[in-house]
Amino acid sequence: MMGRTIFIDPGRCIGCQACVSACRECDSHRGKSMIHLDYPDEGHSVASLPTVCMHCEDPVAPCAEVCPADAILVTADGVVQQADTTRCIGCANCVNACPFGVPKIDLQAKLQMKCNLCYDRTAYGLAPMCATVCPTGALFYGTLDELRAERPGVQVADSFTFGSTTVATGVAMVVPADKVQWPVPGGLPVVEINGRDVR
Amino acid sequence: MTEPPQTVEPTPGPGDPAAGALATDGPAPGEPPAAGPTPQTPAAVRRRASLAGAVVSALLVIAIVFGSRLLRDFDSALLPYAVATVFLAFGVAYRYTVWVSAPGARRLFKQGRRSFFSAANFRKAPTALPKMIATYLGFQKFLGARSHARWAAHQLVFWGCLLAAAITFPLTWGWFTFTSSTGSGPGYEMRIWGFKVLGFDSLSFFGWIMFHGLDIAAVLVIAGASYFLWRRMKDRGAITGQRFAYDLVPLICLVVISVTGLLLTFSSIFLHGGGYEFLAVLHMVSVVFTLIYIPFGKFFHIVQRPAAVGMQLFKYTSRRKDEAVLACRRCHEPIDTAPYVENLQGTMRDLDLRFDTWAEYCPRCKRVLRGTAYLDHVKKGFK
Amino acid sequence: MTATDPASTPGRPLPLDPSLAPPGTRQFRDAGGIPADRWHADQNGETLVPTHCCFCGVQCGMYLRVDRGGKVFGVEPRNHDINRMRLCPKGINAYQQVNHPDRLTAPLMRGNRDEEFREVSWDEALDHTVAEIRRIQGEYGNDAFGLLGGASLFSEKTYLVGKFARIALKSRHVDYNGRLCMVSAAGANKLAFGIDRAGNPFSDILLTDCLLIAGSNVGECFPVMTQYLWGARDRGATLIVVDPRETAVARTADVHVALKPGTDSAFFNAVLNVVIAEGLTDEAYLAAHTTGWDEVKKTVADYPPSRSAEICGVPEEQIVQVARMFAGAGKAMAWHARGVEHHSQGVENCLTIINLCVATGNIGKPGAGYGTITGQGNGQGGREHGQKSDLLPGGRSITNPEHRRQICEIWGIDEAELPLAGTSMMEMVWQMQRKEIRGLVGICNNPFVSLPNYATVKDGYDTLEFHAQFDFFLSETAANAHVVFPVTVWAEDEGVMANAEARVVKHNKAQEPPAGVRTDTWVMCELARRLGAGDKFDFPDSRAVFEELRIASAGTVNDYYGITYERLEETGGIAWPCPTTEHPGTPRLFEDGRTYHPDGKIHMQVVEWHPPMDPYSEEYPLSLTTGRTVAHFLSGNQTRRLGALVEQTPRPWVEVHPSHGFRNGDPVRVVTRRGSEVFPALVTEAIRPDTVFVPYHWPVPTAANALTIDALDPRSKIPEYKVCAARIEPAERVDEVPAPPTAPGHQAYPETQVSRLDPLPPTSPQGRGTAERS
Repeated sequence: MMGRTIFIDPGRCIGCQACVSACRECDSHRGKSMIHLDYPDEGHSVASLPTVCMHCEDPVAPCAEVCPADAILVTADGVVQQADTTRCIGCANCVNACPFGVPKIDLQAKLQMKCNLCYDRTAYGLAPMCATVCPTGALFYGTLDELRAERPGVQVADSFTFGSTTVATGVAMVVPADKVQWPVPGGLPVVEINGRDVR
Repeated sequence: MTEPPQTVEPTPGPGDPAAGALATDGPAPGEPPAAGPTPQTPAAVRRRASLAGAVVSALLVIAIVFGSRLLRDFDSALLPYAVATVFLAFGVAYRYTVWVSAPGARRLFKQGRRSFFSAANFRKAPTALPKMIATYLGFQKFLGARSHARWAAHQLVFWGCLLAAAITFPLTWGWFTFTSSTGSGPGYEMRIWGFKVLGFDSLSFFGWIMFHGLDIAAVLVIAGASYFLWRRMKDRGAITGQRFAYDLVPLICLVVISVTGLLLTFSSIFLHGGGYEFLAVLHMVSVVFTLIYIPFGKFFHIVQRPAAVGMQLFKYTSRRKDEAVLACRRCHEPIDTAPYVENLQGTMRDLDLRFDTWAEYCPRCKRVLRGTAYLDHVKKGFK
Repeated sequence: MTATDPASTPGRPLPLDPSLAPPGTRQFRDAGGIPADRWHADQNGETLVPTHCCFCGVQCGMYLRVDRGGKVFGVEPRNHDINRMRLCPKGINAYQQVNHPDRLTAPLMRGNRDEEFREVSWDEALDHTVAEIRRIQGEYGNDAFGLLGGASLFSEKTYLVGKFARIALKSRHVDYNGRLCMVSAAGANKLAFGIDRAGNPFSDILLTDCLLIAGSNVGECFPVMTQYLWGARDRGATLIVVDPRETAVARTADVHVALKPGTDSAFFNAVLNVVIAEGLTDEAYLAAHTTGWDEVKKTVADYPPSRSAEICGVPEEQIVQVARMFAGAGKAMAWHARGVEHHSQGVENCLTIINLCVATGNIGKPGAGYGTITGQGNGQGGREHGQKSDLLPGGRSITNPEHRRQICEIWGIDEAELPLAGTSMMEMVWQMQRKEIRGLVGICNNPFVSLPNYATVKDGYDTLEFHAQFDFFLSETAANAHVVFPVTVWAEDEGVMANAEARVVKHNKAQEPPAGVRTDTWVMCELARRLGAGDKFDFPDSRAVFEELRIASAGTVNDYYGITYERLEETGGIAWPCPTTEHPGTPRLFEDGRTYHPDGKIHMQVVEWHPPMDPYSEEYPLSLTTGRTVAHFLSGNQTRRLGALVEQTPRPWVEVHPSHGFRNGDPVRVVTRRGSEVFPALVTEAIRPDTVFVPYHWPVPTAANALTIDALDPRSKIPEYKVCAARIEPAERVDEVPAPPTAPGHQAYPETQVSRLDPLPPTSPQGRGTAERS
């Protein structure tokens, strides 16, 4: 399962957006940031959540599955690439199907773009730009063993629930030890109980 | 790198397998075949695709035979090219069928086709479709938003290839003939399927254009393809994830075809045919290889791109009804047209992605809700 | 054809491209300033120049990417042991200043402030400046001309600022913007320890068992330092944060003391009170290494938790909890920053924290100690070598006859020629108003944004007969000057800075300056030559200045003699004191228990709390406190021009508690006795209900410092930025952020200013979420 990948820990994130600026420096999409940084607890606290592509493994990349143009390729090591520029027709299927809200779309260029785990850097043995600069380790790139060497005993989870579906991902999130056996909630709100709308 | 994930069971349906998949080069405004709801195994899809390929290539053979007036106009020297086009027809029809059998493509194309054939739509916006075709397929304005240089180079390659295809394919099939009543000019007649279309003087400017159309096409293609090759050597963004077979081979093919084609002209004009035969073989090999490669590599986008028009037309038609924009359930910002989101949800259900209700939330709200859930149910603090 | 407007208004034909996309998925504003279309990353022929960031006192290492044409075009993380490849958003975007379209490339000059600037030759600008200096000093005396330096300059240049004022201008009036930054900590350090620097390196944080962060929004002001905080916590340390706001580090801290601004000394006195009451003091250490403990003990006896809890507005139990946690830990450490220093009793606030560390024996050990986090890149180095009004190179005092004699010998001047001590930056502004100072040269500062009580500052500068300013972008202050000299950015010259650990690091030159731009060193030397002091300013480059600085600091407390450029390049940084070229430097102080006082003891100081200078009243019931946000730096002259940072945080806001009844984004007028301004409300529970916060990086009419009070600490002369009395009221519309000033004929680079007029507050104090940028 987990090889060299990104580990996300929102508990350490200070919301500084270094990752957002760093993503823009990547040579393969210079000037365009693919990472998302949200402040989910707006009005209550300064808590923040960085979102990179989770590189879904099971089901393999819903974005690629719903793509009508076969534009999203998955590499042998499980990295879900951004849309192939020649194939993408800019339909936004992936944007709205992704359960994590990751892909972005350039409406003028008719092109989807998303985090590709910094292929241009990992190919040279460098860590992705966001995880390299992250001042807090909220984004960590490496193997689980390397993470544990820095933070002994840390537990991670790589599955998320969306309603009745569980999605297993290539990118993992840090969870407390007592929560490690449960999938991380994906946030899909309960809208219906026994046919009754409870929104 | 590998091809797209194969976890999806393609679920093709019966229907007209070859509609819109005429084996022509250049972008055909392809409308997908209808697809039924019955899911099928990959083997069934392959069978159906093979059948489609066989039918289309048979149709092409028949068209060649009749178009060349029962082979009277057929130039046997061009036989390898003609055979290659038959393979091309098979490959394109096969790949096309497999492609549109996948749920995402199938559903979107059904919608595109519905918009296309809607008489009401046509009455309301008769110019929309031609404009879209000109914008997305002809002038490819969207490429300009990616990079002006890439747009310019792509336009050179595109028009060059289109010109070359328009000249060579009918010639190969024996559909066009150029005959001279005197045997060697300068007065020529151009005939299609044996019918005289126009006569011209080969020494006139028009005549020069007619005879050197392919050279012009070659110059256009060489300029465009060279830019792309140069870029693939230099630009780190392009080099990232670049694959030889997928990204470089097509460009090399185009350059080789164009250069050898130009050299043929050069040889006949300045070298009195020196090296002509070798060049001719080289040219033929590269062309045949490219034609057979089209359905399986990067060139398949030529066949796929018309889907952009179908998608656009579908959204355009939905947007004409004002109430048809779906707002995010949480933040009420527009997501996309409601029929489009419904269509996507259908695709997700086809694929057994059971979080299709999630598509009614905008990506930001998905992330914020996930962040809130993490804070509430996983951990709020540092540990 | 492909209309980009996704809105379909009834009556207007639907655009041919009907595409919609939800917010946050569609915006790719090219905030880097290089249109993506023109961007080509050349795989080959790029070089990496190792250097450090130009911004805060952490001094992260970074590589600048230089193309074959010799131009800086990007940044690459560098595995320097200060930051271990980590960078903050400011650091990542810093390189964009270098070839920025807003750069000044020719000297600007005008006869009076009503005229437009015109570009002139260097000779004309220099000659005019020298003529004005001569005229003013001839008419009103040498002290009528002042000089203000900055702490973002390389140490070499700060040394030159002090030397230039004393030898070329022969004026006592020299000071620098570090006066606005952390002089309170400097004063406290000098009083307690006889040495002015942090006691421990950052790496000691990783070894501590209890970390106290007082008045520092580490997550935003020193983001890269957060890794040390988290590293300590990963190893089991507890974290205590004292801050009126629940900042990113406070959010997850073990204890967050959200005290009322301006009550720090009451709080720390009470903590010490509990420590004594519970017998947690280290009496052996106190007996061996301190003086003044009995007096301190007596004073803090008057601060029982019940009394301080009321003053500070925090629960009594929290004071006890902090005391037990800090004093009960095996090794404890305290770091503080502007939150405790920017007060009319800033020095005393720092002293109460020092008292707490000393009383628990947490000084000078691995993982136990005390430090201040300098705000500016060279906040530490900038105050060491003589640009402070009362100091001479090597931290010598200008009032000490022995020190004066040493420096006069090094400089080769007669002692009578060396001016006496001057006044502090804010006091100099008051002197300008009184026409005691009639001419001024400003180098590397922007007081129109950074000094408190803008009306006074503007009046003082407007009263000046002559004002010249050095800068690479036209700052708000420079835009009000008579002469502006275009100088280099940090990447166009070499030099050293000392970071918050007092580690001296070397910045390297990555590219040649643009045509028409000179180094500050060249300009100062050239002015000195024209003023007749050329023989004392024969410095071709930074290296030559550094050689003199080494000698000038030799034998002092701030000993740089053993530090050379070569050693810095080999080691990645050396902490002073470093007396010989074999000395490894001194990352941790007081390891032998001795301080730099002649008696070797820590001089504990008695502190009595007093209320802030701006009294609360029925009219002004709230506390206004100011601070930074992560995307901007100080007066913002640099960061308000960098697209990515403007995108992240386009404008200031006022942070208010929901109990005031405002909704997010409502225009709220903040009124103090000095003025009023309207900001959009950022309504959040992460601030005390009796406190409002405004970040200070923007100029009027959105300047926090148009509201703050120009009351000073009597010892350090630091202004009381962190607390003044205020009230808030609803308003009609928010004040707009003005565009950054530019040279005549230019406009601020439009690509970077797209979202400047956004009337909404950011999503969170750290900036707008990436989805909020459509």
